[in-house]
Amino acid sequence: MPLVEIHGLTKEYEKGDQKIVPLKDVSLAIDKGDFVSLMGASGSGKSTLLNLIAGIDAPTAGTIHVAGTDITKLSRTQLADFRANHVGYIFQLYNLIPVLTAYENIELPLLLLPFSSAERQKRVEIVLEAVGLTDRSDHYPSQLSGGQEQRVGIARAIVADPAIVVADEPTGDLDAETSDQVLDLLQRLNAELGTTFLMVTHDLKAASIARRRLRLEKGVLLEPEPPKIAKAGKGA
Amino acid sequence: MWKFLPYVAKNLWRDRTRTFLTVSGAAVAMFVFTVVGAVQEGMASLNRGTQTERTLIVFQANRFCPGTSRLQEDYARTIAKLPGVQEAVPIKVFMNNCRASLDLVVFHGLPPKQLQKIRDLKLSAGDWPSFEKQRDAAVVGQSLANRRRLSAGQRFSIGEVTVTIAGVFTATNAAEESFVYTHLEFLQRTPGISSVGTVTQIEVLLAAGSDPMAMCRTIDEKFRGGPIRTDTRPKGVFQSRAVGDLADLIGFAQYLGYACVVLVLTLVGTTTLMAVQDRVREHAILQTLGFTWQCIFGLVMIESLIVSLTGGAVGIGAALAVLSWNGLAVGSEGVTIAFSTSPMLAFIGMTATSIVGLVAGVLPAWTAARAEIVESLRSL
Ligand SMILES: Nc1ncnc2c1ncn2[C@@H]1O[C@H](COP(=O)(O)OP(=O)(O)OP(=O)(O)O)[C@@H](O)[C@H]1O
Ligand SMILES: [Mg+2]
Repeated sequence: MPLVEIHGLTKEYEKGDQKIVPLKDVSLAIDKGDFVSLMGASGSGKSTLLNLIAGIDAPTAGTIHVAGTDITKLSRTQLADFRANHVGYIFQLYNLIPVLTAYENIELPLLLLPFSSAERQKRVEIVLEAVGLTDRSDHYPSQLSGGQEQRVGIARAIVADPAIVVADEPTGDLDAETSDQVLDLLQRLNAELGTTFLMVTHDLKAASIARRRLRLEKGVLLEPEPPKIAKAGKGA
Repeated sequence: MWKFLPYVAKNLWRDRTRTFLTVSGAAVAMFVFTVVGAVQEGMASLNRGTQTERTLIVFQANRFCPGTSRLQEDYARTIAKLPGVQEAVPIKVFMNNCRASLDLVVFHGLPPKQLQKIRDLKLSAGDWPSFEKQRDAAVVGQSLANRRRLSAGQRFSIGEVTVTIAGVFTATNAAEESFVYTHLEFLQRTPGISSVGTVTQIEVLLAAGSDPMAMCRTIDEKFRGGPIRTDTRPKGVFQSRAVGDLADLIGFAQYLGYACVVLVLTLVGTTTLMAVQDRVREHAILQTLGFTWQCIFGLVMIESLIVSLTGGAVGIGAALAVLSWNGLAVGSEGVTIAFSTSPMLAFIGMTATSIVGLVAGVLPAWTAARAEIVESLRSL
């Protein structure tokens, strides 16, 4: 059974007498451990789809099953718990909490879960190590470079070991070199930890690290090439 | 929820200028609230003394300021013989200021042996025998001693009156602590007062069971034909009349107290709302991470509460410190109202600030908690 199963997903916005339909009857299944990229023109509904899967937006119609739960049926509070337990979110603009250090930013999602402080510390240290920022743990976001901030953002997204990590243009604000480092990191996490990724991107190179590539066009989901084993298939 | 306290504190610290200004504003308002509360409390306790119900004050008829009332001293002896009277004490009142004042010093000159019979005083310094022995000896109340920095053994002058302080006393009634008790004869013979044989008033302590109103009539009747006519009232009635205008003013001051609380409410409410508006995106990020709306609500409430309570604690603490250090009292026509500080007053103040903190937080907290995540993430 796929980790994410979407059926007949539609999202509409009414603006006066104008109706905007970013997603029209979309269906999709994502397997556990997969790395999926999502491309499409600006305004094609990529972020909308991502946000629906992440449980921070509600669809007009359709169902979204994640890890066996239809999240469209959850209450606001249940959705928050769902996100805390199952979703990691990587933002384009990092969105770290400015008053918290790198360490504290990463620890934040763990505070919502039943972890002892020793366990929290262990987990934060492991992911800090994984993103190569152990020596920056007590730095504030304003003291980090964009690439470093994004690595903290990634660490925060994976620290609670979520079922799926969604990333909305995670390299959109980074230069080519830093961007490569971040993509490498995501690919490595997918391969080594088996974390499922869904990544929205405008960058063909970024999309190329994915094992499966999707396109959204005018609210309709297309799968241009048959799924293939990407060249970076060093893991599972 | 409490594990997020450091996060709340860091946010307050990030906007420390704003936090500081709000806390100071709240502190000033709660300072005023406490001062108003203290004088209200003093007003309420004015007539609360144990013997007030069975004590009468005999004054010269149609006179109001103690400076103008003159009764024959031997009226006291006549009154003491009436059935139902336990004690009649002739008192000469002298004060530095007959008008309403914050630094009123009131001298009560009375036969030294009778002082302890009609007053419940405890000496915190000095001793009674030296008060009774020395002609110009005086005992001063603790509040006055604090205010004027007086201690036993020192000499103390107001106008032509110079006394030697034989002791400092505390009293069950805070207003008493602004008085100076000295010898009647000494005060009568002070140049400029020169009133040998006359006193300002006679304080009558009734025996248990006698009817105060009936006794007032009896006494006034007795001196109707005398050289000077008297006006006798229960002490409570007498005091209330003396502070009359002041009492209205103090009564009105309670609205000032309420206004202070509302001020703290709007101040803390505005600041918290501003803080929330600055962090619309941040709260959306927290919600994306899995914070429930209840949790966001709680965080904002805690923030509001911290600001409010800090301001309250500083303001109330400062007010209590200043008041107990200065021992302020307002007075009119020789009757004083002390600013009474009590743990109860602090408790009421802190309860008010907690409630204000919570009420001020509700709207901002609700705004933050119910914001749409996606929409908020788009905002800058
Ligand atoms: N709150 C809203 N009200 C009305 N229309 C909206 C709202 N949010 C999004 N839309 C519209 O939905 C469409 C899809 O938006 P979405 O953000 O998903 O696009 P996107 O593919 O992520 O674009 P980009 O690549 O620029 O990020 C857009 O046309 C957008 O204008
Ligand atoms: Mg987008």
